[in-house]
Amino acid sequence: MHWAELLAELTLMPLVAFIVGLFMVLMMRKIGARLQRRIGPPLLQPLYDIVKLFGKHTQTSHGLLHEFGIVMAVGGYVAAETLLPVPGMNGIAEKGGMITLLYLTMIPSLGLALGVGQCANPNGSIGISRALTAMLAYDIPFVIVIAGVAMHFGTTNLVDVVAQQQAGGIETWGATQMPLLALAGLFALQGMLGKQPFEIYVAPAEIATGPMVEMGGKFLGGLFVMQCFQLYTASVLYVTLFLGGGENWVSFLAKSFAVLVLPISVAFLFPRYRTEDVLTMLWKWPVILGLLGLVFVGS
Amino acid sequence: MQQFPVKVEQPSANKPTGGNIFSRVFDELTTFCRSRSLFILHYCTGCGAIELPPAMTSRFDMERLGISPMVSPRQADILLITGYVSVKTLKRVILTYEQMGSPKYVIGICSCTVNGGMYWQSYATAKKLNDYMPVDLYIAGCMPRPEAVIAGLRQLMDKIAAGEANGWQDYYRRYDYYLGHQQRLFGETWQTPTDVIAESKHYDLFGGDTLGAHTALLQQHQKPLEALEMRLGLTDRQEKGS
Amino acid sequence: MIGALDMLLLAALAAIPLSALFATTRSGRWLLVAAYAVQFGLLIMLQPATAAHSALSFQLLGNAVGWQMDALGWYFAVITIGSAGFAAAYAAGEWSEVNGRLGLSLRWLYAGLQINVLAMLLLLASGDFVSLFIGWELTSWAGLILMLLAGGDAIRASLRYIVYAIAGGMTVFAGLVITQAAVGSLQFDALHAAAPSLGTGRLWAIALLFILGFSVKMASMPFHLWQAPAYAYSPAPGSSFLGSISARMGLFGIALVAIKLIGLAQLDRLSLVTDLVDLRGLLTWVAVFTAILPTFVAMRQNDARLLLGWHGVGQGGYMLLGVIIADRLGSAGGLLHVFNHATYQAILLMAVFAVIHRTGTADLNRLGGLVTRMPLTFLAMLIGIIGLAGLPPMNGFVSKWMIYRALIVDGHPLLFVATVISTLGTVLSVYKLLHNTFLGQLRLEHEQIHEAPWSMTVPMLLLCVVVFVTGAAPGLVLQYVAAAQQAIGLEPVRYILGGIESPTGSLDMLWITAILFAGFGIGAVLFYLIGGRSRRVHQLDNYAGGHFLTADVRYQYSDNFYAGLMHRIRPWYRGSFEWTESALVSALGAASTLARGFFEQANPAQWVLVGTTVIMTWVMWYALG
Repeated sequence: MHWAELLAELTLMPLVAFIVGLFMVLMMRKIGARLQRRIGPPLLQPLYDIVKLFGKHTQTSHGLLHEFGIVMAVGGYVAAETLLPVPGMNGIAEKGGMITLLYLTMIPSLGLALGVGQCANPNGSIGISRALTAMLAYDIPFVIVIAGVAMHFGTTNLVDVVAQQQAGGIETWGATQMPLLALAGLFALQGMLGKQPFEIYVAPAEIATGPMVEMGGKFLGGLFVMQCFQLYTASVLYVTLFLGGGENWVSFLAKSFAVLVLPISVAFLFPRYRTEDVLTMLWKWPVILGLLGLVFVGS
Repeated sequence: MQQFPVKVEQPSANKPTGGNIFSRVFDELTTFCRSRSLFILHYCTGCGAIELPPAMTSRFDMERLGISPMVSPRQADILLITGYVSVKTLKRVILTYEQMGSPKYVIGICSCTVNGGMYWQSYATAKKLNDYMPVDLYIAGCMPRPEAVIAGLRQLMDKIAAGEANGWQDYYRRYDYYLGHQQRLFGETWQTPTDVIAESKHYDLFGGDTLGAHTALLQQHQKPLEALEMRLGLTDRQEKGS
Repeated sequence: MIGALDMLLLAALAAIPLSALFATTRSGRWLLVAAYAVQFGLLIMLQPATAAHSALSFQLLGNAVGWQMDALGWYFAVITIGSAGFAAAYAAGEWSEVNGRLGLSLRWLYAGLQINVLAMLLLLASGDFVSLFIGWELTSWAGLILMLLAGGDAIRASLRYIVYAIAGGMTVFAGLVITQAAVGSLQFDALHAAAPSLGTGRLWAIALLFILGFSVKMASMPFHLWQAPAYAYSPAPGSSFLGSISARMGLFGIALVAIKLIGLAQLDRLSLVTDLVDLRGLLTWVAVFTAILPTFVAMRQNDARLLLGWHGVGQGGYMLLGVIIADRLGSAGGLLHVFNHATYQAILLMAVFAVIHRTGTADLNRLGGLVTRMPLTFLAMLIGIIGLAGLPPMNGFVSKWMIYRALIVDGHPLLFVATVISTLGTVLSVYKLLHNTFLGQLRLEHEQIHEAPWSMTVPMLLLCVVVFVTGAAPGLVLQYVAAAQQAIGLEPVRYILGGIESPTGSLDMLWITAILFAGFGIGAVLFYLIGGRSRRVHQLDNYAGGHFLTADVRYQYSDNFYAGLMHRIRPWYRGSFEWTESALVSALGAASTLARGFFEQANPAQWVLVGTTVIMTWVMWYALG
């Protein structure tokens, strides 16, 4: 591949991810509003929020690590997006694969954890301890899903996974071939999004939004950007593994947004679980589903 | 809903910021976004709090105006004080206000914040909120209905968009005035864990009235609050535990 | 004729009296660091591709006893001398002065370190079963010197260690006796040649005894109880050296005897119930449990040294797993993890001991906020924990990735999931370590402390460079790993500078690292150029629901850090974990009725001895019959 073409892809992929992510945030807020019979925010509200936060006059920092944590949180996702193939652009997806992507998406979380740690606020530390526990909870079903998908397609290369599904049409999609794993993946997706019922680590009324407690201005703005990437990465990864990736941009975006509708709707209809119940929930049903799915993949 | 004039020196408020067109467009955009994205920290001290849920939820839906509730002072733009402020509460309100990031706006809801309302004769209640911090907007009434709250918020949005909601600058430029009122109420040893004077210097908000007799009193007993900077301090022959 | 290997061994031997002589002065200690550099240079001069023979040899009961070093031993020897050199440099300056004044015997410390290196070199260069056994016993006893030095808790841990070590040594000796009885020779080649024709009974006995003996050193389950305290309470250089490499001698033994001499084809003959369970399958699960359970034990520790010690046990499980899977990717991953673990574990232990050096404690509930006072140590620990947790771009990720890939490709999804569970547990645990030490609120009594001295930070930071460079360009190490794989008769891994090239999913860390730092760059540009100017505030200017924070009241979350998780899994520690442990113990061969008592007894080490005696009796009966 020509280097200029590669450079263009590496620039465009995070940019597209951010813009699509903004609309995913909007969709999330709109769905929440409609479920509560409200009108909801205007079209560009996610952008207004981010611009305002970056433009705040006072930016309260607790030290270098607080700042670098946000840089890591945003930068880690910028890097991760180039490993996630989209229609017409593969970036460096061939150099990594799904296991690398799984671990690369932990870098932003680590960055956030470092930044929060330096804030010296116990609410934030409690939030991080709960967030990491939640990660332990949802990643176990998720790696079962990853293992099943990798075994089914015989590769950890996401480009090949997409190519195999598109070559065979809808009956070779991961969701058709491995419905149990797809279902388990949906559970894990709910956890990954960090929304209700698995958002005890934010718990505004109890620990004052946990990790975000000392984040104001561009620090919070950075986390809003991270949220856009987070939604995008989770849904696109799911589309790549189970829904045949994107043949073209229209179907790709349609699938990506559609994947999020169910978890978001669930999020706004349920209260939150306590940490230990998050663990029970995510270690029980999706794991059982995933293991059954693995049996079918293996046989 | 009545608006109290806030004594604001306006040297920088209407000044065209930045020379080139690019930064002017950027400033315009920021100002617009500030008016369309407001995070509220509601300090619900009294009965007025009951009017906020209808304003937020499906009946009046503040989110369509870009206004959403937030939890910690760092995240918030608006400090919404709904009701009487006792002396003990006021200390927390002031700390919360000082911890918020500028530009920040204060809205006093209910008569109690205007003049003490039905607690006018109470020895333990602060009467006029704008003695202790610059209030951008009062929404009077006992209690004001959600329509009034929404209308007040819209008025604040208009003020922000027009670049007129600059009460927060007054707090830094005339800190001595506000600190004087605070000291009158809380005593001479009053100090928050925040450092307003250093902040006003850092952000070019230092005015002729930032310092005065009251800040001099503060600085006599103030515990130093410099940030803990990263320190290498490498000396090879350091004694253990020194 | 004195060869290169003899030069190396002589240099290591000569350095022991030198250590005892020179360890008390600062310049003397730097001279000893130079002695390690000389040994390292001599080692590099050995050709790793072909076996180097030693001139030293003698006859024992008709067996020629000699020493030679092949690529596998060379790879382990590089790590051994490297770890010792860095540990010696770390302690050479202020650390030794302060601890020498406090009563630590520096002569014993430095001599003990050098004795350990010599013993390990002898083990790694063993040319037959007799020299293997000599090296094994020397290594076991040499470790005791370093463990005993600290006194106090260390004494109890060392005594427990030595019971395990004797048991392990006796088991290895039993294996040796049976080999002699079955093969009629103690040469490596003889076993290798005879293995295909041996009956499964004899092969079982030989394989099981050697693997059990070596597993004790590796602290594989169920022999994992001794290691963490024994290594953790040793003085700083001893702890960092032991934690980095000492336990890996067991892995060397298993790779040598089980993979090279007995061979994969013969190992696969060893099945239990009608081919359902075989020895390798059993060992993979032992390895996986060794990777998981100690990790979750580590998470509960409040002493930073113990936390790292337990992780050392857990990471050994990964290495064993990789070596036992023994395909080209998995075994390379397992062997590469030995190097990677040695580097980041050394950093982490050095960082923890630097904190102890300044604050006098490793109690995770009595620290916090040190990042502003010891930023370089923080940086070192950060890089170390990214390595230990196995996240990109540090080297721990590469070796773990290779093991994951091998498990998925070989069709072991459950093992893959289990290893990832261990990794996730590690992420949680190391964040607790970093947070409780360096993040959060700085305590009043620590406001005046300083960064650790250069003599301690520079070795840490140099190792950080190693961790980062071998993470971004794992090909640098993989070439030696590939040679080691060939030396034990496995297919060598196909590597490129940036990692692995494979049709079913590659890894190019050069790209991953570059893109990650490019991402950080973009993040930094967004953050610093577009956002407004930030202002640093004091840690007491903090949200507390309107409360006024003061320095005398702690505002920190550290104790029982993962309260929610522990609420869920604490019953498992008491129940299932110990049930698993006792089940594995019963598999050891002691009577199943004794197994339950194993944990209820005050001194489980005694039961290991009983178990070993039973095995020994059986062995002798077998050998004589």
